[in-house]
Amino acid sequence: MRGTHIRSFKGAPYSMLFASVRSAALIVLLSSCSPNLPVQRAAQQADVLAPQYSIVCVIHGDNDYLYHDTSGHEYNADEEVLEGTKRIAQQNPQADVFIFHQMPRRHFLFFFPLHDGEFYYYRNGLLIASESYWRDQGRSRFGSEVELYRRFCADNQREMVNLFLYYGHEIPEIDGAHYDASYPDRTFTVHDLADGLKGFTHDSLKFDLLVLSTCFGGTPNTIGTLGPFARTIIASPDNLHLSYFDLQSLERLDLNLRDGNVPAFAKRFAHQAFNRLTGDIQTAVSVAVYDVDRVQEYIRSVDDMYNDTLAGLKGRTRASPAAIEHCDCAELPAYVLPSITNGVDIFYRPARFGRSKHKQNHSGWECWRDKGLQGTNSRTTESNLK
Amino acid sequence: MKTRIAFGCIAMMFVLALPTNAGGKEQIQSYFSNAAGKVKATNNPAEKRAILNESIQTMSNALNKVESSGLISQEDRAGILQFKKNLQEKQDELAGTNGYLRVSDDQLNAFSDYVVQDMEQADLVISISLVALILIIILIVLMIK
Repeated sequence: MRGTHIRSFKGAPYSMLFASVRSAALIVLLSSCSPNLPVQRAAQQADVLAPQYSIVCVIHGDNDYLYHDTSGHEYNADEEVLEGTKRIAQQNPQADVFIFHQMPRRHFLFFFPLHDGEFYYYRNGLLIASESYWRDQGRSRFGSEVELYRRFCADNQREMVNLFLYYGHEIPEIDGAHYDASYPDRTFTVHDLADGLKGFTHDSLKFDLLVLSTCFGGTPNTIGTLGPFARTIIASPDNLHLSYFDLQSLERLDLNLRDGNVPAFAKRFAHQAFNRLTGDIQTAVSVAVYDVDRVQEYIRSVDDMYNDTLAGLKGRTRASPAAIEHCDCAELPAYVLPSITNGVDIFYRPARFGRSKHKQNHSGWECWRDKGLQGTNSRTTESNLK
Repeated sequence: MKTRIAFGCIAMMFVLALPTNAGGKEQIQSYFSNAAGKVKATNNPAEKRAILNESIQTMSNALNKVESSGLISQEDRAGILQFKKNLQEKQDELAGTNGYLRVSDDQLNAFSDYVVQDMEQADLVISISLVALILIIILIVLMIK
């Protein structure tokens, strides 16, 4: 018994050695199964190619984003866009892609709050990082997103083609409460988006292209507010169905944007989005491309008038929504100026039904009017446009 | 008695859970999507027209009841009024009244999609509070049954 004990004592270093080898093998085996390894490999491979394109995409999902296709299948617009942006991130071998998904507030077991934001960062087609985060509840609407972006963004930002995409509901120009279903008292306006863009652009850089995939994005106020942060903007002046602007044009930017001509690319993007929407959608489809420098003259000309209208609307939008409505600026005589068409390319098809189904053109600019004025203004505009 | 109250509370929670979780709006959108599905399932234009008209009328009736209930705010009343006006426009176009050209038989499927898509993108429903939406949904369920 004693001898056995001595033998086992002598064999202890060997046992420990074997145990260590077994443990090391187990660690290697387990780590090869861990989800982190591909990310580490990706990070090593990603250093090989310096990215030439940077895409920042913010997807708002904290509200009702349900829609149905013509077969009755249900989709959540934000989840569809999330899958779409992940796909373009994987298919762009020379791009940095930052995806932010703003989600509804949820709880685990009714009491424990869960993160209300998801972040994905792709470089050269590979997922480098993904994490959940808390959306900023302070003054800055995009504080958390800007912080994550700055943690991962490349040093050669100025040499890259920079794109910014926003997918969500109409961004209010005034008031802005109820934008988030989870935080109804929290406001969100185009000025908050502009503040966010300021953070993403380090106060000096401009995005080469800003895609605003929302309803009624093409107003003089919205384009004027976001203009300082972008050279070209794509937006929908009229309603935009939740199937949104098609993302396909953003796949393989190394081929689709090889010549670096962003304004020409923007027109191709808009045309593709328009064709895709008109295939299935019966409501109005409008996709406009704004050359930010060239539209300044028109924006300046109507700025005071538009701001007066907005000031008059304050407090009215929720109390009496039936009294006001959006309309083509060209239907308001005071907005029909010689510079109205400068710097705007518009793809437009009216709704196939409803009062506006015979409207053949859209100026690319959307304004507000009292509903009672609809008939008289439409007639005036037709004669003006002729 | 206590058991009955407990069962009643549980049943009410189940009734309210669905619209509350979805924000209430999704049920209204699904209601029109289901109607569009029924329109496309039949080849008879008269039936298509009847399904569309009935679905819009049922929603309008529910809105009328909620509006006259006295349980809703002034903001809700304005939202409901706008919603009703929008539905009336659809009915007018379907029937060819109030200055509209009647939707032709071969356009009825497309028109049913238009109704669904217009509801999905309009901010009509967004301006109505959750309480009012739940009332509308409960009334719709009761009216259909």
